[in-house]
Amino acid sequence: MRPFRRRGDQVVAGLTDAESAVVTLLLDQLEELLAEDAPADDPVVGRLFPTGHATDAELARDYRELTGAALRQGKTEDLATVRATLPEHGGDVALAEDQARAWLRTTNDLRLALGTRLGITADVDHEASTSQEMTVYSWLTAVQGSLVDALVAGGGRRR
Amino acid sequence: MAAPLAPEMTPGTVVREESELDRPWVTVVWDDPVNLMTYVTFVLQELFGYDEATATKLMLQVHHEGKAIVSSGPRERMEHDTSRLHAYGLWASYQRDS
Repeated sequence: MRPFRRRGDQVVAGLTDAESAVVTLLLDQLEELLAEDAPADDPVVGRLFPTGHATDAELARDYRELTGAALRQGKTEDLATVRATLPEHGGDVALAEDQARAWLRTTNDLRLALGTRLGITADVDHEASTSQEMTVYSWLTAVQGSLVDALVAGGGRRR
Repeated sequence: MAAPLAPEMTPGTVVREESELDRPWVTVVWDDPVNLMTYVTFVLQELFGYDEATATKLMLQVHHEGKAIVSSGPRERMEHDTSRLHAYGLWASYQRDS
């Protein structure tokens, strides 16, 4: 991976063929978790769609009815944007501001999903682990970290 | 000959009722082992228009104290703020200010 850097109005990174394949696989898995029929008791689904209120069940239900559909739709649209801008066999990922935000949110959802599955609970040294999932998690962290840095460097902050 | 005026409600009651009505709702961001510190700072700037120093201070409060209030106001707006934070994957909820 060549990390994200600002290039004019865009942020650009480079992915290898294998990295593109991994991201495609992760997107397929995330898409299933974002589906309406995804099991609500799956901890990853619970983390992607958190409760709005920790202790009041009625407020939590209100919140889910009010915001659940839009939240799901937003995440699904972000995922579609990442798919559309991902080079199929590796190459440059060149993103405009809005596309970059879709990548930010989707890579974060992927990290939340993997992090939940891996049982990451504190700021310990995860790099020490050598499992394949942890390798992917660390790689996603590097991708997302460089994307944040590139957006901040370009003064890309907007309201 | 004026009898002392008996208050219809004790001051204590009045204060309590007023504070119950006036007490705003707040949106809270909770500490999370996955979200990057730079990402949380970026999101707080992006969604609430905080300058970098304020957003960083709030992020560090989340990191060290486990949570921080990032906005306050009417319930409907706090629901909206919470959903915007959930769209970015931050662990957030709303509640009455305590």
